[in-house]
Amino acid sequence: MALDRRLEILAVCGVGMGSSLMLKMTAEDALRSLGVDAAVENTDLSTARGMTPDVVIGQGMHTAEISDLAPVVITVSDFMDKDGLEAQLRERLAERGWL
Amino acid sequence: MAVVAVVTARGAVPAAGWREAVRAAASALVDAGAAGGEYPDACVRVVERNGPYIVLTKGLALVHARPEDGGLAVGVAAVRLAAPVEFGHPDNDPVDLLLAFCTPDPDAHVGTLSGLARALSGGLAGRLRAASGDEDMTRILKEALPDA
Repeated sequence: MALDRRLEILAVCGVGMGSSLMLKMTAEDALRSLGVDAAVENTDLSTARGMTPDVVIGQGMHTAEISDLAPVVITVSDFMDKDGLEAQLRERLAERGWL
Repeated sequence: MAVVAVVTARGAVPAAGWREAVRAAASALVDAGAAGGEYPDACVRVVERNGPYIVLTKGLALVHARPEDGGLAVGVAAVRLAAPVEFGHPDNDPVDLLLAFCTPDPDAHVGTLSGLARALSGGLAGRLRAASGDEDMTRILKEALPDA
């Protein structure tokens, strides 16, 4: 079902200041290419646990710990791989009807 | 956008393992006056506690700790290892290039890191790997962060 509001996306990492900020920028680029209007935030794993995003993105070692945090959880190994993330977002958002 | 106070780089740095590599990258910030003496150990603890996620793309680690761990100014350092090391990352090992940063507060570095992300997308890692030495690496890093 289509959302009646802006998609909320959370990029996570261990400290929430460096890697997740890089991932946030990559995600914003990918979402722009997909034409998706979304608010992307970045934070650390423990802060993430108290949040309710639509989509969470992070490395497997972190997403494994918060696999029930959001309806869509996307695991990314390469935080600079915009094309790879775009392909995952396209598939997973389409499954939800959010594209 | 915050001004980058310090940009520094070193090539052919010897490191016997990931801890030495992380310390070498963070120590470049300490030596340049951007971080306090406790910063390198704090950067090692980040990986010990949270895993090798700082290896955020093939061969490249983004070394940092929190502002309260000794961040005195916004600083960026690049370190190229004499020989690559393993961090235990499932996909992105081995690591031969480390970018370290520090920041005096949780927001001052955002503009700088955004610039760094854009530069990495534009091939910064390859240019640093191909650089001829410390001075060449520092010049390339400064060009990538024009507000420095």
